[in-house]
Amino acid sequence: MRATLRRVGVTLTVLVIAVGLNFVIPRLMPGSPLRAIARGGDAGQLTRAQREELLERYGLNDPLQVQLRDYVVGLFRGDLGISLGDGRPVTEHIGDAIGWTLLLVGTSLLLTTVLGVALGTLLTTSRRRGVDRGGLVTSLALDALPPFWFGMLLILGFGVGLGWFPTFGATSIVGGGGFVDVAHHLVLPAATLIVTGLGQTYLVTRSSLLSVMGSTHLAHARVRGLPERRLRAHALRAAALPIHTLVLLEVGWLISGSVVVETVFAYPGLGRTVFEAVQARDYPLLQGAFLLLTLTVIGANLIADLTYPLIDPRVRGDAAS
Amino acid sequence: MRVLRLLTGLLVAAIIATGCGGDDSDSAEPTDSGESSEQTDGGVSDEPTDDDQSTGQVDEDSSPAPAGDLVIAIGGDETTLNPYTYVTGYPGYNVLMLMHDSLLELDAVNVPKPALASGWEISDDGLTYTMELRDDVTWHDGEQFDADDVVFTFEYVVDNTHPRWTPGVAAVAGVEATSPTEVVITLNEASPDFPVRPLADMPILAEHVWSSVTDPQNSGEAENIGTGPYVFGEYTPDQSYRLDANPDYAMGTPAAATVNLAIIPEPATAFASLRAGEVDMVAPIVEPQLVAEFEADGGVDVISGPGFGSTMMNINTGLPPLDRPELRAAIADAIDPQTLIDTVLLGTGTAPNPGFLHPDGPITVDPLTHDFDRDAAAVALDELGATIGDDGIRVLDGEPLDFELLVYADNPTRIRTAELIAEQLGEVGIGITVAPLDAETVDEQVWPGFDVSNGRDYELAMWGWSPPVQLDAGRFGSLVHADPSIGGFNVVGLADADTDGLVDEMNAASDADSRAAAIGALQERIAELRPFVLLYYADGVYAFRPEAYDGWVYQAGQGPLGKISLVIG
Repeated sequence: MRATLRRVGVTLTVLVIAVGLNFVIPRLMPGSPLRAIARGGDAGQLTRAQREELLERYGLNDPLQVQLRDYVVGLFRGDLGISLGDGRPVTEHIGDAIGWTLLLVGTSLLLTTVLGVALGTLLTTSRRRGVDRGGLVTSLALDALPPFWFGMLLILGFGVGLGWFPTFGATSIVGGGGFVDVAHHLVLPAATLIVTGLGQTYLVTRSSLLSVMGSTHLAHARVRGLPERRLRAHALRAAALPIHTLVLLEVGWLISGSVVVETVFAYPGLGRTVFEAVQARDYPLLQGAFLLLTLTVIGANLIADLTYPLIDPRVRGDAAS
Repeated sequence: MRVLRLLTGLLVAAIIATGCGGDDSDSAEPTDSGESSEQTDGGVSDEPTDDDQSTGQVDEDSSPAPAGDLVIAIGGDETTLNPYTYVTGYPGYNVLMLMHDSLLELDAVNVPKPALASGWEISDDGLTYTMELRDDVTWHDGEQFDADDVVFTFEYVVDNTHPRWTPGVAAVAGVEATSPTEVVITLNEASPDFPVRPLADMPILAEHVWSSVTDPQNSGEAENIGTGPYVFGEYTPDQSYRLDANPDYAMGTPAAATVNLAIIPEPATAFASLRAGEVDMVAPIVEPQLVAEFEADGGVDVISGPGFGSTMMNINTGLPPLDRPELRAAIADAIDPQTLIDTVLLGTGTAPNPGFLHPDGPITVDPLTHDFDRDAAAVALDELGATIGDDGIRVLDGEPLDFELLVYADNPTRIRTAELIAEQLGEVGIGITVAPLDAETVDEQVWPGFDVSNGRDYELAMWGWSPPVQLDAGRFGSLVHADPSIGGFNVVGLADADTDGLVDEMNAASDADSRAAAIGALQERIAELRPFVLLYYADGVYAFRPEAYDGWVYQAGQGPLGKISLVIG
């Protein structure tokens, strides 16, 4: 119990530091949000007084500590501020985008995990050395694929070349929106995330399994004549811990990692929101999006920490002490 | 195992199916993102240059076949796309003006022609504009348009700062509705540019809609009531817009049933979508390397014309030793723009007028030519006392002539140009380090806070001004005037009394001849002082699917995206 409380305490500390960094880092970027605020693509035409008036209106002339105070006070009220780019509430922006990201990342994460673990188990425990080696080389290659490049290949191959899948967006521009349409648009971006993410799950499954397979309890079981299928099941259970950690870490990684894929596929998710907010120096939107990413990563870590004991009895003992 | 084989198969299939597709992702990077304060876009031409485009002319005998649902790819969200909320100068302004009208509008060669004003008279002293308004125009919500809307608009943009229009109406002393169809505008001082900007630039706002809007920058879709050929239909943030044809449009027939704007941030994706037939026209400009590929693709056509967007190398004229005009002239002489045009643009550009203005621009007078002369540059550097040091770099007053050249990292065309410049200047012993940086970062160093009175922190920078700067003398003069209130675009920090005098003379000129004389003299002064080195004006090249719609017309300075292409008659 005390250990659990300590973990929650550490998590809260990390959260406070992260909120501070989320405020500071966007403002450290060179450049100004003035162009985004001015609109009309012509901030350079404004007189100094007009520029000041615009900055004033968004509180950007206030001293940094005042801006920070307003931000933190807003956070406690659940108010993330107004996007400088279009004046919509940040929560609305994030609300629009989060559903698409969850759909894309959720689908990809699920399939990456299932495929990665299944392939890792099958190929690693195969008796043919060539198969294992082939799996290793392929997974290393997949892991090294740049998502931007691979996504573009899929667009050109399956969108332009074969015409099987749409090349951009989450729904069709004219007359889109149904379940089939959404699923159809999901295929290529999800495939990009799955293929480029598969390698890591595979590699962790493989190394984790290999270390377990060499352990004495499995050697013992094998000597006792347990069938290979049951051996595999035992091994996988013992090897599950690193995979469990990896999956939860990837929740955070995939949300930020989808920045590139969402931009390439013009997918209206959170990653693209971040990309555009960075370009526009839209501080409130960046703060909001980073806050969500931070919460996801911290939350996933906390969940990983707290659920270890459920999977591994040895950790349970540690926690009790 | 089978799954793995399938995945490998898919990968191989993708690679085979794409052929040399990898080139796309490399070369179709954005060229116009973050283009200083405005987006550099297409260009200008006297006439549409592509022979296959003549069908799009406003010519009743050969009207283009009307399109159904047209899909146009744009690079970013334009928010609620009303006159106060659209984001970019291109393509945001262009699509905004599909829904709105101004009193006048520019024709294919940038000459103002009637729009909401069916006629106009200018008094002899140039101070009074009497505008005759159409009486058959209704707003999208059915209300009648009249002179009060015009008066309201002029007052509204003074009270509610708009970066594009508020500066344009600064010269207005008063606006009066003398009848429902007549407005008299009086100016404080004669302004030969007034018909171009604001009259042919500023959309007229509906008084019954905007009079209650107190925070226009955060206004929404409901305010998007115009008189234009298309009616605001639907907006899905970060995804798309739908504009519907306006059956009551008074000044022609909308060419498409709906114009749909698909937001695709990555140009390579937009061009792939065009080839896949999901998009009918791409607003971002086509990179030179892709032109041949599109021309070979039966389903995709391109329309092109000379561009008014300038590409130049800015020199921080306040920073020693770059404050010496002789050194700047030597740098300019050592640069060969034709090689840049041939190598980087594959020939699709116009050679520079060192006096800034495009040779075919509407206010240009006797354009000058850039004389590349490496030997002369070397001699000039020798005469300056810049001797070649041990590492091959010249040394002047004890300091090596070694400069950093800033360039937008997301603009491969400019990066390649910068690298060639570095080679060319290396030939005469001037060292250049090309520094590609994020666009906002470059802007912040060249033009901090978009306010030249904040100074500047760079040596050399690749830069460009958007086509509108070529259209009016006021903006041309603002490139070089030392007073920040007049020289708002003087990002090179030029401070030269003769130049200021010429700009003042040009701005004060009330008749065309004296203004032309001042423009000519100013061009020469700029070419002499070399506060920047004009490199080229890239052609505007735009890709579209003719089977969806082939009525695209290349409009001067703006490319094909606008009423000129999407309204028939």
